[in-house]
Amino acid sequence: MNVHDIPMVIFTVVSQMAVGTFIALGVIQLVLGRRHDAQVREHVMAPVTYAVGPVLVLGLIVSIFHVNDVTHIHNVVRGWQSSWLAREILFGLAFAVAGFAFALLNWFQRGSAALRQWLAALTALLGVGLLWSEAMIYYSLEAVPAWHTWVVPFEFVATAVLLGVLAVGAAMMVTTEVRARVAPPLSAGAAGAVAPTGDAEAVDAVDAVDAERDSEAAAPAASGLMAQIRSRIREINAPTTEHEWTLTVRILRAIAVVGAVVAVAIIVVSTIYVGDLSQGNAVARESAAVLSGGRMLVRLLLAGATAILLGFAVYRLAMTTRLANSRTLVRVVLVTGALAVSGEVLGRLLHYEAMLRVGF
Amino acid sequence: MSDTLIEPGADYGFMFDQSVCTGCKACQVACIDKHDLPLGVMWRRVPEYTGGSWQIDGNTATPQIFTYYTSIACNHCENPVCVEVCPTTAMTRRDDGTVFVDQSKCVGCRYCEWACAYSAPQFDADSGHMTKCDLCYDYRSDGLDPACVSACPSRALDWGPIAELRERYGDASGIAPLPDPSITEPHLVVRPHRDAQAWDRATGHITNPGEI
Repeated sequence: MNVHDIPMVIFTVVSQMAVGTFIALGVIQLVLGRRHDAQVREHVMAPVTYAVGPVLVLGLIVSIFHVNDVTHIHNVVRGWQSSWLAREILFGLAFAVAGFAFALLNWFQRGSAALRQWLAALTALLGVGLLWSEAMIYYSLEAVPAWHTWVVPFEFVATAVLLGVLAVGAAMMVTTEVRARVAPPLSAGAAGAVAPTGDAEAVDAVDAVDAERDSEAAAPAASGLMAQIRSRIREINAPTTEHEWTLTVRILRAIAVVGAVVAVAIIVVSTIYVGDLSQGNAVARESAAVLSGGRMLVRLLLAGATAILLGFAVYRLAMTTRLANSRTLVRVVLVTGALAVSGEVLGRLLHYEAMLRVGF
Repeated sequence: MSDTLIEPGADYGFMFDQSVCTGCKACQVACIDKHDLPLGVMWRRVPEYTGGSWQIDGNTATPQIFTYYTSIACNHCENPVCVEVCPTTAMTRRDDGTVFVDQSKCVGCRYCEWACAYSAPQFDADSGHMTKCDLCYDYRSDGLDPACVSACPSRALDWGPIAELRERYGDASGIAPLPDPSITEPHLVVRPHRDAQAWDRATGHITNPGEI
């Protein structure tokens, strides 16, 4: 294993996951948008939105570590007219900035819904640009048979989709659990708010949460920034309602299907890829040998386990699990996510190790 | 004389004569000495390419073996992929067609190292920057030949505007272990060894990987 590759392994996997998560969120919002009101959508999906940013920023910071003279870092976008690496950095920064702006507007509920939607669409487009330029960095090297192939863009998109949907799933599960812990009885979240605690217990669950939210929405006008942030956190942490849970598990089933299909596609394409390389020139055959060892087997087994867990365990549990005993489902989704991340990280390490060049 | 050796538009390159090279590496040593390169950084390298097969004639099997040397530095390509991929524009092409690393811009990402099929860009761990052959720009500015060309005892190296070199020595450059010349169109002319193998035949292997 080459230590020099590690920052790039982390950066590519993390940035692809961030792009995949953002786009998965967008698709889910669009699909739900036709059938559900904005508040429910928001309460199910909002926490995920705020998980993307920090992860991407972490990836961008790590990527700096593969540069050997940080004092010249300001030069890295000068070559954008010809260099895919410079373009990747530009798209990465633009994606982060647009995503951050979107998250800010969303958090404080500023700007019209249309403006936020356009900003989200722009962010998603920049994310696609980031994915594309990342793939082209490797694809454009004609002298590297293991990289100058359609498999590289496929792998990057597959990582984005698989880890993107799983990140959404994992974030929804963690949120459910956190909400249950932060505010076990429905009224606890309202204790610090204006809404009277006693009344909330009397009415039915959905109404209580709605009432609480309404009171929160009215509050910011009078108070400062910190109060606004606190009230927003309370809003996000308000317990998941039964209606929202139904929606959550439905989204989870879709995630399971998409994820399982992608994981199977990864296995099929990896096999074709190594087969193709072993038919190629001497350098391609050497790369195929690098990709034919025990680690490739482990990588494929991890993808296989991800597919099986998603297709069977997660999908089935998402049909039967009730909100009150969601623990097993939460655990299974998190374990599946961890297996998928391990598989993609190992796959990416192998991607860099297969870098053998013609010539000398 | 001094300005004719850094003439804009000259598109300089190297000629290497495989048929007279003995693999002594005087060119490599002269390069390291002239540029005071740190240990392990070699702008010019000399791979030894070896292979062979049996010719079967009735009951007689005759070995047919070959070994030849290829001295290679930067070929100051027509289509320099290192310049194309460099995110910082540190990898720069001079008016005279030669390619050099602007040390004030290089960030040391080593992407050019991946891209070049001749291993011309080499990493200097001390500065954290890439370095490479600039065809001895300072010598040429003073009207002198590049150090490697002057050092060769067999006169296997020559340099000049690539069009003139091709006129004088032919236009072969796709000889193993060199890669497919269509990738970067090197400003390089090779006078082939009598056993020279085409780049795509995979008939031999480099026997001195530790030296290059």
